[in-house]
Amino acid sequence: MRLWLVLRLAAVLLLWSAEAAAQSPFAPKVSGPLSQRVVAYQIDANYDPSKHTVDATETLTYHNLTGQPLDTFPFHLYLNAFQPKSTWMHEAHRDVTFRSSSLAEWKPEDYGSNEVTSFQVLGLGDLTKQMKFISPDDGNPDDKTVLQVKLPRPVPPGQDVTFQIRFKATFPEVVARTGYKRTFLLAGQWFPKVGVWWNGKWNCHQFHALTEFFADFGTYDVRITLPKNYVIGATGVQVADRDNGNGTKTVAFHAEDVHDFAWTADPNFRIVEDQFEGGVGPVRIRLLSYDSHRREWQPYMFAAKEGMRRFDEWYGPYPYAQLTIVDPPHGAGEAGGMEYPTFITGDSGWFIPKGIHSVDGVVVHEFGHQYWYGMVATNEFENAWLDEGINSYSEIKVLDSMYGENTSAVNLLGAQLGDREYLRVSYVRSPDIDSLSRPSYTDMSLGSYGDTTYGKSAMMLLSLETIIGEPTLKNALHTYFLRYRFTHPTQEDFMGTVNGVSGRDLSGYWNQAVYGAQAFDYEVLRADSQPVKWWDQNLQEKKGETEYETQVILHRKGDFVFPVDALVKFDNGDNVREKWDGKERWVRYVYRKKAQVESVQIDPDYRIPLDLDYLNNSHATEPQHGAIHKVATVWMFFTQFMAQILSWLA
Amino acid sequence: MTHDRQSALSAGFRLLWRRQKLLWWVYVVNLLCGALGTVPAWLRLRAVLAHSLAGERLTNRFDLGMWFELTRLPEVSIMRYSTASLLLALVFLVFMLFVTGGVLETYREDRRLTTSEFFAASGAFFWPFVRLLLLSIIPFVIVGLTYHALIGFADSVGDRAAADQVGIFLRWGAMLVLLLLALALRLWLDIAQVRAVAQKERRMWRNLWQAWRMTWHEVGRLYGMYFLIALVAWITLAVGVAICAKLPPTATPAVLLVLELIMFAQVATRLWQLAGAMAWYQRHVEMVPADAVEFTTPHPQEIGEASSMNEPPPPSDPGPELPPADA
Repeated sequence: MRLWLVLRLAAVLLLWSAEAAAQSPFAPKVSGPLSQRVVAYQIDANYDPSKHTVDATETLTYHNLTGQPLDTFPFHLYLNAFQPKSTWMHEAHRDVTFRSSSLAEWKPEDYGSNEVTSFQVLGLGDLTKQMKFISPDDGNPDDKTVLQVKLPRPVPPGQDVTFQIRFKATFPEVVARTGYKRTFLLAGQWFPKVGVWWNGKWNCHQFHALTEFFADFGTYDVRITLPKNYVIGATGVQVADRDNGNGTKTVAFHAEDVHDFAWTADPNFRIVEDQFEGGVGPVRIRLLSYDSHRREWQPYMFAAKEGMRRFDEWYGPYPYAQLTIVDPPHGAGEAGGMEYPTFITGDSGWFIPKGIHSVDGVVVHEFGHQYWYGMVATNEFENAWLDEGINSYSEIKVLDSMYGENTSAVNLLGAQLGDREYLRVSYVRSPDIDSLSRPSYTDMSLGSYGDTTYGKSAMMLLSLETIIGEPTLKNALHTYFLRYRFTHPTQEDFMGTVNGVSGRDLSGYWNQAVYGAQAFDYEVLRADSQPVKWWDQNLQEKKGETEYETQVILHRKGDFVFPVDALVKFDNGDNVREKWDGKERWVRYVYRKKAQVESVQIDPDYRIPLDLDYLNNSHATEPQHGAIHKVATVWMFFTQFMAQILSWLA
Repeated sequence: MTHDRQSALSAGFRLLWRRQKLLWWVYVVNLLCGALGTVPAWLRLRAVLAHSLAGERLTNRFDLGMWFELTRLPEVSIMRYSTASLLLALVFLVFMLFVTGGVLETYREDRRLTTSEFFAASGAFFWPFVRLLLLSIIPFVIVGLTYHALIGFADSVGDRAAADQVGIFLRWGAMLVLLLLALALRLWLDIAQVRAVAQKERRMWRNLWQAWRMTWHEVGRLYGMYFLIALVAWITLAVGVAICAKLPPTATPAVLLVLELIMFAQVATRLWQLAGAMAWYQRHVEMVPADAVEFTTPHPQEIGEASSMNEPPPPSDPGPELPPADA
């Protein structure tokens, strides 16, 4: 038995290495290894499109770099989340919807599974019977998303252990970034994946509805057998494509210094290719899309190249040889907007007006994850803001530079929306619910998780610019990337880097913005002018001659302390810019001038998006009718139009 | 056929033009409903924005982010102030239900009715038209169910189809079918209203049936006319919105003007359809007088019953005293 296993493994390894040598997974000026390769996966998979199942054999070699003997190994079986009693399904059902899917009711097509049929360890024999499911987060006995195996003897530090696992993956109809739709398949989180030894213990959370993933870097050699007419794309680069002569083909992929492997297939895919000239050589961009989305091919490529160019310039090089972009078909929105190493999914439609930059936004965001998740591989279960938040901030910066700050999300029919405002909308929904530092999978709900992780984190970083300056923050992110790429940094690593680069102790800010959940709200409480000689009954007020005393009071309504600017304008054209540290609950400014106050505005340049309420940030002494009339005009039109539509029934 | 459609179309337009006072009047009521429906929202917007510079982001450009921030405030809740708009829209619906009789009578007579004549005609057909509206729920529900079934079919086929756009095309097709069916339904109901006014018909079931026969008989011409007028309304709306989008963000008076022109065109095209339907009906009655004869002749049984009583049967409802159709 053992000899058979060794011989088979040797044959497979020989084949893999020959295929892997066919094409480098890196850009021309890069050679590996780039990471501490803890894992080496070799997977031989057979896809059955009629059943949406994969039967596979996985050979995983784990290098024990933990510095201590290991006898227990946990594995993620993510597809088991798609079962009625799983923790994922319980959480998703609790919050009714997951992204675009309604999970209020159980539907059989939601069912998915990872079934391990055989578990062997080289040199230790068949351990299938030793497998047991554990639920380290919530103790749910029905959750089968973490499998644990105890070895008969530990793996010494510095030694390897090889697991050979046979499994069957059954995909649900597309949900939570994985599954099928018609002939389309996005295979994400589809194979047994070992946990991460991190901070002195195994980090292998159950699959939660709120958060994403965490895994070790390594190499992947994956062969997928599927019908000949299918077009396939995957993490890494394609190294072989063999016609099996029986209506199927086997396609092999190779990837290095990545921590996950996803693939997609559909006979209707059209391949569009382009190239990006990066700092370390050309990168091939391979878009898998559909004829019906032809209109979006150019925006996809444009956004990918523009995004890659800016990330390359601002943060560091993209070292891989290829980026695969998947454009999911109509109805497979749950597969859209997802990141895997060197492999991202976009989100387009049959017709998107030119002024809506949604394709660009998704592509830039998901490409950004190649940096903030792919290379800087933070723990998405526990500190999702480190990848989603930093990436949302980067996305804002990229889109602003592409389309302008006020129009980077929407510029259509006179309506405008900047990407920062788009993300701010989510922040103001849940500004003080969950702190960023709270383990993300324990956030209050899917809604608060999204609002906090994406919106609040991005607003937190934008507001930080007012303290340390935008160039310094950009430099800090650059440093953070270079320092922590191909590792698993913590939030303290990030904050320490920003502190170091800026040369400031920002703990006061981090304590509130990351560890706390204080509400941030400043307002102008008072702004008025009275004649100094108010008691003089003969006083005749004359502009430019009468002296006035102006009172301005700024109020910190929330508990978040933050330095703010306030612009005080007078009717003689004088402007005064005040700087308030915000430490007290309020501050009063008094001016004696031959002029009356016209307006006071806190954060007049809108540089502090953490402020919850922009409407109370200013006070104008004269009524401002412009917006009221404009909104009322449109409102009246809608009322008239609705009346006309209704009267059409009469 | 084209000639007939064009003549009903142009006759309807000429009628609309000659009786444009009606158009102005209906438009002004629509405007008033719009203005009154906006008052609660305007008052709350004033309370929030009157002394805030944040509104500049709505004035100098229409910043959707600021709009979201504004509407998330409980005091500027869209839902809350949509209620006032919806109520005023319902008021306009009732108003149109009331005046349709007078409008059609004016078009039938093609002269300026006195106020009392107009309101007499309006009042006389208010309840019959309410009944017609209630009856029309049945076909509208059928159309709605058809649309629902088509959408279900589209989704089901789309889910199984290899090409991903099949579902979208089918959905768009279902929407087009809904639009065309609704227009056909409106045409049928309009002919029923026209016929009711022309024939002083108060029995709406019977009227609907006769209107169906008449409409079906010349459905191509009538539908063509209605579709063309509806097309004018849709194009006006699209062009108007495009112009608004091109105007400078601070040009609120100009936006108001364009939006009101759009509304005027919407009201005008609707009345054009009614005028066109009346013009067609009058020509139809000239060519096929059976419709006129059939309902002015009492049923034999009714005559028999009346004879046995040796006195004419009392009218169930005298209705307004209006001139004959060919006056």
